[in-house]
Amino acid sequence: MYELIITLILISLGYFFGHRAEKKHYKSIIAREKVMNSLPAIASRMPPQDGAYDQMLVSGNVVIANDYFKMFVAGLRNLFGGQMRSYETLLDRARREAILRMKDEAKALGAQAVFNVKYETSNISGQTKKRMPVIEVHAYGTALTKI
Amino acid sequence: MKYENPQIPEGINVSQDHPLKNFLILLIGSIVLIVTLSIVLGVSGGWLAGKIPFSAENKIAAMYNVNEDVDDENVPELMIYLQDLTDQISKAQNLTDDMKITVHYINSDTVNAFATLGGHVFLFRGLLEKLPNENTLTMLLAHEIAHVKYRHPIKSLGSGILVGIAISTVTGSTNSDILGSAGLLSSLKFGRDMEQQSDEEAMMTLHAMYGHLNGGAELFNIFHTMRKAMDVDELSEIFSTHPHDENRIENFSRIAKNKGWQQTGSLTPLPDFFQQALKSEMSVLEED
Repeated sequence: MYELIITLILISLGYFFGHRAEKKHYKSIIAREKVMNSLPAIASRMPPQDGAYDQMLVSGNVVIANDYFKMFVAGLRNLFGGQMRSYETLLDRARREAILRMKDEAKALGAQAVFNVKYETSNISGQTKKRMPVIEVHAYGTALTKI
Repeated sequence: MKYENPQIPEGINVSQDHPLKNFLILLIGSIVLIVTLSIVLGVSGGWLAGKIPFSAENKIAAMYNVNEDVDDENVPELMIYLQDLTDQISKAQNLTDDMKITVHYINSDTVNAFATLGGHVFLFRGLLEKLPNENTLTMLLAHEIAHVKYRHPIKSLGSGILVGIAISTVTGSTNSDILGSAGLLSSLKFGRDMEQQSDEEAMMTLHAMYGHLNGGAELFNIFHTMRKAMDVDELSEIFSTHPHDENRIENFSRIAKNKGWQQTGSLTPLPDFFQQALKSEMSVLEED
């Protein structure tokens, strides 16, 4: 019985704080993206041919932890299969945040664009049995600065 | 060539469903799944376990040392009497020869008695003290022996094990001890239909042995008074495995009427040493 109560408290805490943090994060991501759109990040490997550019490696890195509510929903989802919607926002936020940080770095270098952008993602939650998923998303590319 | 990052509309990579809606659907779905699975496994486990021969059940029971937890040695005279009565009841219930019932006594205030694997029946002093006559004692013993006759302990264990395995598979926890740390002393839970079946068999036995049912319903009164005295709320009947005491008394009269069995008749007293042995046992416990 106590276990059930503790689980319920953890779920509601996870939902309340997780939901609040997510809303706040999205608000900040959207606002910063509007500014950073002036510095395009492009997946193409072919750099612009209109002149000479300095090339530098830039990267953005972010680690996002899961909350108990999302983990519980994902655990239930594991029974039935299907889209794991509770983790979608987690990964979406992580990717967009990583790109923003990469662009921050490029902007500091005075770059005009970032080319050949790639993502890496890894699970850093360790090997314990009842681990909470914690993911790292790493975005990197080549910053081009006109000479 | 123009390079740009336009502002992409929200909700393409992320589902717009409210997370709580998703959660509720999954939660209800998994509860339905678990309940259905428990019922199916419980019923089939009980059915399968019922096919286990009694000799195999004896082997399971032999893994536990019964004598460690009982106080049979303290009251030898009482035990001879109880075992003799048990054998008479076994005969009246037409138990097969290999189904040997062994009665045990436990020196404890608990007002209870139960039957478990291998035909072991445990009687607590707390309940024995309250019995007014032999007829009520016979009703009690006959009820517990009927559990063994209809294989209720092994059926209950079988369904418990199957459900347990399913739950530990889903939750990932392991619990290998089938009866728990209390061994044979952990009373198994019997369903209400099982209790009903045992009550009926016990009534039949009472009638066969004494020619009337007087004293039988007194057993339910004892439990009822005890629960009242302890102020234990009888849980709403859906959640309780034993039928309500009142319902059992009503059932008792109804079955007796249907079968045309007499509910009055002369009561057989308990032998003198019965209460004496229990009294001296209580003083032993107090000295401790």
